[in-house]
Amino acid sequence: MDIPLLQEVIFGLVIGSYIALGAIGFTLVYGLVNMINFAHGEFITIGAFVGYLTIVVAGLPLPVGIVATLAITAVVGWAIARVTFEPMNDAGAVPLLLMSIGLGFVLRNGMRVVAGPDRRSVRLDVTTYRFDDWGFFITSQQLLIIGLALVAVVALHVFLSRTMLGIAMRATSDNEDLALVSGIDTRRIRNTVWLAASALAGVAGLMLAISQAANPTVGYGQLLLLITAAILGGAGSPYGAIVGSYLLGIGITVSVAVLPSNLTELNATMAFVVLIVVLLIRPGGIVDTEVRAS
Amino acid sequence: MTLLTVDGVRRTFGSLVAVDDVSFAVEPGEIVGLIGPNGAGKTTTFNCISSVIGTDAGTVRFDGADVTGLPPHALARRGLVRTFQRTRELETLTVEENMLLAAPDQPGERAWHAVGRTDRSERREQAARERAMELLSVFELESMVDEYAATLSGGQRKLLELARSLMLDPAMLMLDEPFAGVNPSLTTELVAHIEALNAAGLTLLVIEHELETLTELVDRLVVLADGRVLAAGTPTEIMNNDEVIDAYLGG
Amino acid sequence: MSAATDRLADLPIDATQAGLGLLGLALVFLASPLFFQPPPGAFVLLEVGVLFVLYAMILVGLNLQFGHTGLVNFGPVAFFAVGGYTAAILTADQPYQAVGLGLPWPIGVAGAVLAAAALGVLLGISTLRLRGDFLAIVTLAVAEIVHGLIISFRDVTGGSTGLFNVPQPVADATGAGGGADIVSTLLVFGALALVFYGLFRRLSAAPYGRVLRAIRADEQVTETLGKRVFRYKLVVFVYGAAIAGLAGALLVLYNGSASATFFTIDVTVIVWVGMLIGGAGNDRGVIGGLAIIMGFQLVTRFMNDAVPYVTQDQFASIRLMLIGLLLMAIVRYRPQGLWGDADRLGVDS
Repeated sequence: MDIPLLQEVIFGLVIGSYIALGAIGFTLVYGLVNMINFAHGEFITIGAFVGYLTIVVAGLPLPVGIVATLAITAVVGWAIARVTFEPMNDAGAVPLLLMSIGLGFVLRNGMRVVAGPDRRSVRLDVTTYRFDDWGFFITSQQLLIIGLALVAVVALHVFLSRTMLGIAMRATSDNEDLALVSGIDTRRIRNTVWLAASALAGVAGLMLAISQAANPTVGYGQLLLLITAAILGGAGSPYGAIVGSYLLGIGITVSVAVLPSNLTELNATMAFVVLIVVLLIRPGGIVDTEVRAS
Repeated sequence: MTLLTVDGVRRTFGSLVAVDDVSFAVEPGEIVGLIGPNGAGKTTTFNCISSVIGTDAGTVRFDGADVTGLPPHALARRGLVRTFQRTRELETLTVEENMLLAAPDQPGERAWHAVGRTDRSERREQAARERAMELLSVFELESMVDEYAATLSGGQRKLLELARSLMLDPAMLMLDEPFAGVNPSLTTELVAHIEALNAAGLTLLVIEHELETLTELVDRLVVLADGRVLAAGTPTEIMNNDEVIDAYLGG
Repeated sequence: MSAATDRLADLPIDATQAGLGLLGLALVFLASPLFFQPPPGAFVLLEVGVLFVLYAMILVGLNLQFGHTGLVNFGPVAFFAVGGYTAAILTADQPYQAVGLGLPWPIGVAGAVLAAAALGVLLGISTLRLRGDFLAIVTLAVAEIVHGLIISFRDVTGGSTGLFNVPQPVADATGAGGGADIVSTLLVFGALALVFYGLFRRLSAAPYGRVLRAIRADEQVTETLGKRVFRYKLVVFVYGAAIAGLAGALLVLYNGSASATFFTIDVTVIVWVGMLIGGAGNDRGVIGGLAIIMGFQLVTRFMNDAVPYVTQDQFASIRLMLIGLLLMAIVRYRPQGLWGDADRLGVDS
């Protein structure tokens, strides 16, 4: 089926939006807590379920549901990190990675046991806006997702550039030892990072519950994609993660239009190939962060 | 023939010029000190010479050959060995293993000999063990031979690092702040060791802050400031050099 | 490890020699008209045994990479899969909807090892200069890519259906049906595993192993002491890749088919958890750890039938949760595992 390029770009923007919110959170944790959190997908899944519970089960209106999802996932994610990762903060990158892998197993399968196989999704009333002259259409759902991502990105930017805590976070990201010596409270920063990353993951999860479904593996399915986006943008850089996510999202959907049909199943695989290629050529990503072994 | 020639070495980090057109030479059998105020570029120069980081310009010649940019392992095998400012003994290896690791030309480090458990590798290992014990007893560490290096005190670590470098039988040893954070009695001990090694033919290049200790020890000093060579000469000449005094007191 | 296994070290022959001897016996047994028919109840145990022996081969390579050298390889299953499918494609005789060249099985094995090693070289050259946790991501991503490629290129690999009509040399040599071929397979593969265990052990016990452990402790210092660090890392990575590839070929030649279900992330998890339980870096210990985790899986498989209220899916999930908890507990409270050396690994105990 011949879908116009512009339509694919819109789909790409939608995919890019939820990858972006996941990738920003992941990369913030990587840059400021210095760990790769392999359970980040599960934080997203929690968001998807919380979104489902607040909007579908509790019947709250959408705006309230969004805020509730954001807040609840933020606190839950922060609490999990506090218990699991914070006590091992100086154990080193590899133990923390292994810990997060174990955590991911526990959370993912725990949700599987509790949630069961039923299909759940957040169905919204959808209005479609057609622009037949230009050859595309866009739904209110898609606009919502893209809009939410935009709001989140702007809020993040304001936080990082205008608030004391945000500026402190950027300083710590650049040079942690110097930050410590300057009296920046790195523990407070870590707490903030976990809250922010989990909040963003929550909204990403809600977006997935809307556009796909709320099931126990929905976040895990995004994990390698968002890691690819974060590394493509430059590990540790939230701005890089945003650019990387939209590039990846649009790249995936446009490649569906461009490639011969029997290769389209490869689009997820291709994302991982992008990852390998980036690491080969420019491991620091678009922003060119420092990732060589010292 | 000079043993080490540093010629026009330059290294920048972004817009910061850490080392700018630094040139000096070290003759065989000398002890040369590299001094300068904080941030003068001493450690960066060291890192450039020992190929731990790359140079943007300039050459390094050692023992008649151009060694600019050769990987660190190649330099070690040519006889140019360096130590690190914060002692980097391998904590998860024992003192003996630290020493044996440094022994050069070990067939047992190659897969064929390792798997084949050949006589050549056993003999070399035995010889290395003997040499290691010799050096450890010179530095009075022989009782710690089976202890993990992590359990050593700060002073013992300094001595181990020095002993380990000697396993490589270097022609020239580059010491990065060997007396940093060391108590006076250990400093005296280290100085005695260094002088003994020099008397036996070892050439040394030493970075140090502690001027008093260094001026007694070295034959010549090279002074760096703001990444450039400010002055070079005997200790007496340097201590009376106004520019040097300004650089240190001016900050 | 324990007093009993310490005495093993005092025996006049080492694992390599024992393995070679056992291999010789096994081959003689195969060639002879003799066979051993096990009781039907033992089938499950024997099949798990074959899998255990193959995973042990993968683990021996992984332990050299991570336990000794400190390389975080999260994609051993990628090499396992590449080896398996290469062997299958080379040796299968007219498989239904895939490529099968029908070549003799030794070529399949050789091809598998070469293909896996080639992938190891490619990955190693590109990623061994990056920080350790990045290597973890890359290897994991590669495992996913390989899995994806296997499913997608179904005209070559048979996709989700699988690739059949792969020869089964051990079963053919045994001649008898039933479980006798499993017994013979276990003997041959077990002997091979012992040989490779012994070879890798010799590497780690020699000065070679000392260099690896020094690299794990501090790459930069090791380099300035005259060792070619990158070369060691690459070679060790490739050795691990090659042995995993060999194990893959053996699996496929045992089953007579290749299927994507043999090569899932579960393999990576079992091997890693086994290594961490046993104690990374302890050559004997990690095998013990693998036995523990696979034993746990075997026992819990039977438990599902005994527990009435839980569905099979739920049970599988609970099992995975327990494994996850175990992993977390080990990393937090006992990173050196049961038999690892805390000082060797540099962990506080």
